[in-house]
Amino acid sequence: MPGTRRFIVRQGLAATPVEVRSDGRVRVGDPGDVFLVTAVSPGEYLVSSGAHTWRVAAAGPPEARWVAVEGAGACLEVQPEGQTRAPRQRAAHGALAAPMPGTVIDVSVAVGQQVRAGDLLLTLEAMKMELPIRSPRDGLVSAIRCAPGELVQPGPPLVEIT
Amino acid sequence: MIRNVLVANRGEIALRIMRACDELGIDTIAVYSDADADAPHVLAAGRAVRLGAPPPAESYLAGDRIIEAARTAGADAIHPGYGFLAENAAFASACQGAGLIFVGPPPAAIAAMGSKISARRLMERAGVPVVPGETPADQSDASIEAAARRAGFPLLIKASAGGGGKGMRMVRGDAGLAAAISGARHEATAAFGDGTLYVERVVTRPRHVEIQVFADAHGRAVHLFERDCSTQRRHQKIIEESPSPALTPALRALMGDAAVAAARAVGYRNAGTIEFLLEGAGDQARFYFLEMNTRLQVEHPVTEAIAGVDLVHAQLRVAEGHELPWTQADLHQRGHAIECRVYAEDPSAGYLPQAGRILRYRQPERPGIRVDAGVVEGSEVSVHYDPMIAKVIAHAETRDAAIDRLRAALAEFRILGLPTNIPFLLAVLDSQTFRAGHVDTAYLDEEGSGLAASKPLPAAALAAAAAHSESARAVSADRSEPRRDPWASLPGWSG
Repeated sequence: MPGTRRFIVRQGLAATPVEVRSDGRVRVGDPGDVFLVTAVSPGEYLVSSGAHTWRVAAAGPPEARWVAVEGAGACLEVQPEGQTRAPRQRAAHGALAAPMPGTVIDVSVAVGQQVRAGDLLLTLEAMKMELPIRSPRDGLVSAIRCAPGELVQPGPPLVEIT
Repeated sequence: MIRNVLVANRGEIALRIMRACDELGIDTIAVYSDADADAPHVLAAGRAVRLGAPPPAESYLAGDRIIEAARTAGADAIHPGYGFLAENAAFASACQGAGLIFVGPPPAAIAAMGSKISARRLMERAGVPVVPGETPADQSDASIEAAARRAGFPLLIKASAGGGGKGMRMVRGDAGLAAAISGARHEATAAFGDGTLYVERVVTRPRHVEIQVFADAHGRAVHLFERDCSTQRRHQKIIEESPSPALTPALRALMGDAAVAAARAVGYRNAGTIEFLLEGAGDQARFYFLEMNTRLQVEHPVTEAIAGVDLVHAQLRVAEGHELPWTQADLHQRGHAIECRVYAEDPSAGYLPQAGRILRYRQPERPGIRVDAGVVEGSEVSVHYDPMIAKVIAHAETRDAAIDRLRAALAEFRILGLPTNIPFLLAVLDSQTFRAGHVDTAYLDEEGSGLAASKPLPAAALAAAAAHSESARAVSADRSEPRRDPWASLPGWSG
């Protein structure tokens, strides 16, 4: 159909084909559902399908597009079909470095210990919150570069997994 | 007479205090760190003084710099807000030493309530119930066993010198008592070189119910009812409400009287909060003093809504030496108010705090909704400070109506650019346990992970996400720089 543009919209690991037509109709999925999208103000849309209408907000560049609907929100990646794009660097969730300056309140592993992806390695406290640092992969704890009570900065790895 | 107030804080509470000052015709002075040079609280103040680098120790916790700023700017009073220096007795007395009015309690009251041991002794003497427990002078097994039976089961046996769980034993009844005493003593001696033991009743599944108190320098002290703050995660309050679903009128009266007695016992002035643990339900429920917060609380708008008062106005007037604007007989609880705290954090990723720029910000507006926020669209949520973005307070005739109102407000609150806990707050408000008014302080630690799980967005959101790429006007708006003061970009308008 002329005036139709196709996108791949990614939320986490899920990738959904989305087709935007020039008449304001948008197909989500394949075969999927068709929605009528109307802009009510810059970045605010009414999206309707059958009897149901959602009010959706969208902002940000295609590689980090924030959307919010009915109190739920997420950061999506909107990639035009046929265009390749390096995946967005996600925040350091689950990495081995501190995501922000904080104090180490607990080290849960010891050197020589086998860990699995997702295991708790240590706990930081920053901004009055506890931040668990989990192993991004299976492996062996080969070094621990921090101790409880220590103030750590983002950047250098706090635990090494080999 | 206060003419100029320096507000020694940032974010929503600094704005809250400045608004009260404006209403009373008092000039305001903001202080700021380099991370906050164009923050809303700086723009709202009459004048602003830079403190230093972003870390709190070099800015909002640097008491000497703040007092210097107050002197230079000609302030006659300092309002500390909450957090930072609000409960620092040395800072409060340094203010007085510099001839400044500290808008808060006397330094001696802050110090007395800041020490758990001195606060407990003071409360016992004033007849305020404390969690049963003691450090027996006679440390023989028989004497400790007797103390344990006086306190009641379940109880903790703890190393008097200790911390970190060393030498701590939970005992559920007579059967395990003797073994627990010898085990705890052994561990305490090994860890601290001191085998002195302390016994304390464990309050099972308590609710956190606190009483707002207010006292003036003329001998008047009142309470402004309770706030139930049982919805908390690892001692961090998330939702606060009044009336408490757990209090009967008789219990409310008892707790109010105990709170006023506590305030009088410590020679209190200005606004404060007595926190209690509440065990059981109905008129038979028991309450125990937990601690006193010697400052304005984050959740003070709940009390303002149900009592129809302005606590910050009253703080300023009482600090000036005026009488309290209300007697106990003037104060009534009207309707139901609930506050929730909106944080920049990702509940589905272990509540990891989030920093970043707010791309779009639209506050909910509807009858009975108050929003106290410290950010605007384009604000940067920085790693240096508490990640609270805003508080949303709903007031309605009934608890159910207040929950519905708060739900609707949260669902229309637009914060784009970083994850927030709004989905989690909605899940808590929708939970049967919360709706039924049965949340105790353990609830979120036990059930929170199920409520925090992220759900995929509806397909309609994906439709709008893609359509937004086709909307040239919207995309160019997103790509522009953060909004700045328009006058700054106009030639010939440079101040």
